Amino acid sequence: MVKTERMQADEVESAPASAWLTGAAAWFLPGLGHLMLKRWWRAALMGGAVWLCFFVGMAMGGHLFDLEAEGSSTLLQVPPMIANLGTGALYLVSYLLDYGFKDDPAQAARATYEYGNTFLLIAGLLNYLTMLDAFDIAAGRKP
Amino acid sequence: MRHFLVMTLFAALASVVFGAMAKDTMQERLLYGLKVFAEFMVIGLVLGWILYFIP
Repeated sequence: MVKTERMQADEVESAPASAWLTGAAAWFLPGLGHLMLKRWWRAALMGGAVWLCFFVGMAMGGHLFDLEAEGSSTLLQVPPMIANLGTGALYLVSYLLDYGFKDDPAQAARATYEYGNTFLLIAGLLNYLTMLDAFDIAAGRKP
Repeated sequence: MRHFLVMTLFAALASVVFGAMAKDTMQERLLYGLKVFAEFMVIGLVLGWILYFIP
């Protein structure tokens, strides 16, 4: 009886490979996961919000976090870096182009600097939510 | 004024995502998104006024 229940639970919890692929795509390019599922409105709204949040954050002079920050503990850089990493390709392309990672005093003096940082962090966190939503839909856990 | 606009934009973007992924029907999502947006704005304004009086 217990074994049967455990087997049923395993069946419920296991997700198809396509769901993992959709989740990965949703993380890599905000909105792509929902596009793959043909959820056009969700892709436009959720993906669009993430893209807009990222570019507004950049325009405000916010900076992205990585592990190479000067003058502070590397460990303290990890949580915001994880949040920034949520934007997937947007973060990776910025990293490769070395754009948005410099933390110079002139940029930090801007009135919108902290707002920009917050927008960039929230862009990544919102994309994690978008990714989980796409994964749940692809796995059949959500209509 | 600019700070208020930034806060409004932030609340709008976050509530769009929260609203889109929550609930079942379109009407429920819309109402939930509006509720989250209003909560962001009200709490932001209240916190702003509290911090205004703290030196």
